[in-house]
Amino acid sequence: MRDVFVTGVGMTVFGKHSDRSLRNLGYEACLNALKDAGVKPREVEAGYCGNALAAALQGETGVGQNAFWEVGISGIPVVNMENACASGSTALREGWLAITGGHYDMVIVAGIEKTVMPKGTPLNVGTAELETKLGDIFPGFFACIAQKHMEKYGTTREQMAKVSVKNHYNGSLNPYAQFQKLLTVEEVLNSPMIADPINLYSCCPNSDGAAAVILCSEKYARKTNGRSIRIVASVLTSGIYDSHRDFSGFEIEQRAAKKAYEMASLGPKDVNVVEVHDAFTICEILHYEGLGLCPLGEGGRLIDEGETELTGRVPVNPSGGLLAKGHPVGASGVAQIVELVWQLRGEAGKRQVKNPRVAVAQIMGGSKDTDTKGCTVHILVKD
Amino acid sequence: MSDVSKGEIIISRTYPTIGLDLETVVQPGLFNYPLANGEKAALLANRCRSCGRTFFPKRSLCPECFVDGEMEEVKLDTRGIIYSTTVVTVPSPAGIKPPYAYGYVDLPANNVRVFALFAGADPRTFVPGQEVDLVVEPIMVNKQGQKVIGYKFRKVL
Repeated sequence: MRDVFVTGVGMTVFGKHSDRSLRNLGYEACLNALKDAGVKPREVEAGYCGNALAAALQGETGVGQNAFWEVGISGIPVVNMENACASGSTALREGWLAITGGHYDMVIVAGIEKTVMPKGTPLNVGTAELETKLGDIFPGFFACIAQKHMEKYGTTREQMAKVSVKNHYNGSLNPYAQFQKLLTVEEVLNSPMIADPINLYSCCPNSDGAAAVILCSEKYARKTNGRSIRIVASVLTSGIYDSHRDFSGFEIEQRAAKKAYEMASLGPKDVNVVEVHDAFTICEILHYEGLGLCPLGEGGRLIDEGETELTGRVPVNPSGGLLAKGHPVGASGVAQIVELVWQLRGEAGKRQVKNPRVAVAQIMGGSKDTDTKGCTVHILVKD
Repeated sequence: MSDVSKGEIIISRTYPTIGLDLETVVQPGLFNYPLANGEKAALLANRCRSCGRTFFPKRSLCPECFVDGEMEEVKLDTRGIIYSTTVVTVPSPAGIKPPYAYGYVDLPANNVRVFALFAGADPRTFVPGQEVDLVVEPIMVNKQGQKVIGYKFRKVL
C-alpha cells in the first residue's frame, strides 16, 4: 500500500446559507482546498463527493459533478457517495483507496450538504424504516442509549451537558462554526426537552455547508505546498444489527477503532487531538470509550476531569464538533479532516491544540435495527 | 369478499362515498389485524426452522443457516420486559402527538428485542425492567384522516 497525504483543505462557514446552492457551497470549499494545496484543476485525476440528502431535500443528484465543474474539474471519474452522516468520510476513504492502490496520484474529496429547512419543516428522511413510522426520532434513539449508559456506569446529565458546554466554547473560537455563543451547564440542562434525557442543547443543529480536501501520493506531496499530512489509517465498518446488543457502547465503532490503530501501528495513548461524531452529547462520551481514550464506562469522568478540553490530555472536537460547528450531514466527515489538518499544521488559530502529532477522526451514520449502518475511523500523522 | 347469499355479515370499513378505508395498518404483516373472532393480537415474526432464531420484523433468510425457504411465520409472545425507554416531547414527523413514550422491549420467550411505542395515560411512567404486554390499537390519525393501527406495549396490571 502506498502512503496517502492530505495536501490541501478548505471549507465554508457552517450554518444557514439559504440563498446559496449546493454547487455554490461546494465551489467555495473546493476552490479553497485547491488553492491551499497549490494544485491546478487539471492535475486532479478523480473526484469523490459525499452528500446524503440532496435527492430527498433539494431533488438534486450528481452534486459532485456540479461542484467540481464549478472549479474547472471535469472529464475525470467522479463518484457521488451516500452513507448518511458518514457520506463525506466514506468519500474520503474511496479517495484514499484509489491513491493507496496506485490508481491515481491526485484526487479531490468533497462533502456538500444543505439541511436547513424552513422553520417547522421536519426532515423527511428514513421514512421507510419501521421505527420511523412508529414515531422514532434520532434524539429518541440516543435517549435510549443515554439511559443505558447512565444505568450501567452512573453517567450523569451534568456530564453530558459539559460536552455541549466544552464544544460551544471551542466553537466560539472557530470562525467556521455555526454557533459562536457560550453555554453554561445550567443553560444546557434547562433547555427545552426533546426526548428525555436529550434536550435542545444536547443536539447538533441542521446546517448548510461544504468541505473539501486534496489527497495525493508521496511524490506529489513533496511537490505541493510542503504542508502535507499523512493518512495512516482509513477504516469503514457497517453494523451487525444484533438487536440484543448492549446499548451502552457501539460495537461497530470499537471494531473500526481497533482496526485503524492496527493499521497505523499506533494506540489510543499516542493520540493528541480528536474529532468525533457528537450529534448528541451522549455520543461524544460513548466515542471517548469506543476510541479507547478511556476505559469503557469512564467517558463521564473524562469530561469531568477536563481531559478532552483544548488544554487537556487529549482534546476532543476542538472545532466545536457537530454540536457547535454544525452538521451539514454529508460534509461533516470531510470537515473533521479539514480541522485536524489545520491542527496538525499548527494553523488552527485561537483553538490550536499544543503541538499535536497524531489525530483521529470518527463519524458514523444511519440507523437500522438498533445498530448504526456505517462507521469510519481515520488516523492522520504529521511527519 | 363477503357472500350475502350465505348469510354472512358484511363489515365495511370503507367510506361508501369516497372509497377510502377508515383505517390502515402502519406496515402490513407486522401483526394479525383485523382479528378473527376470539383471536388474540400478536406480533408476527419469522423463525428459522433450522436454528430456531426468530426475527422481528421478518427477514427472508436466516443469516446463520443461509438456507432458502426455511423461514416460518410465528406469533410472538405478548409478554415482554422493557429494556430502554424515552419520552418524546416534540411532534414526530410521522404524526404522533407529544408527549409519547417508546423504547425497546425484550420478549424472553422468543429471544427477540423489539422497538415499540408504549400505551397508557402517562408516558412518563415506563422504566427499564417493567413487565409489559402487547396491545394493537390506533397510534395516530394520518393526513388522509385514517386511523393508523399500530402496536404498543402497556404496563401489566
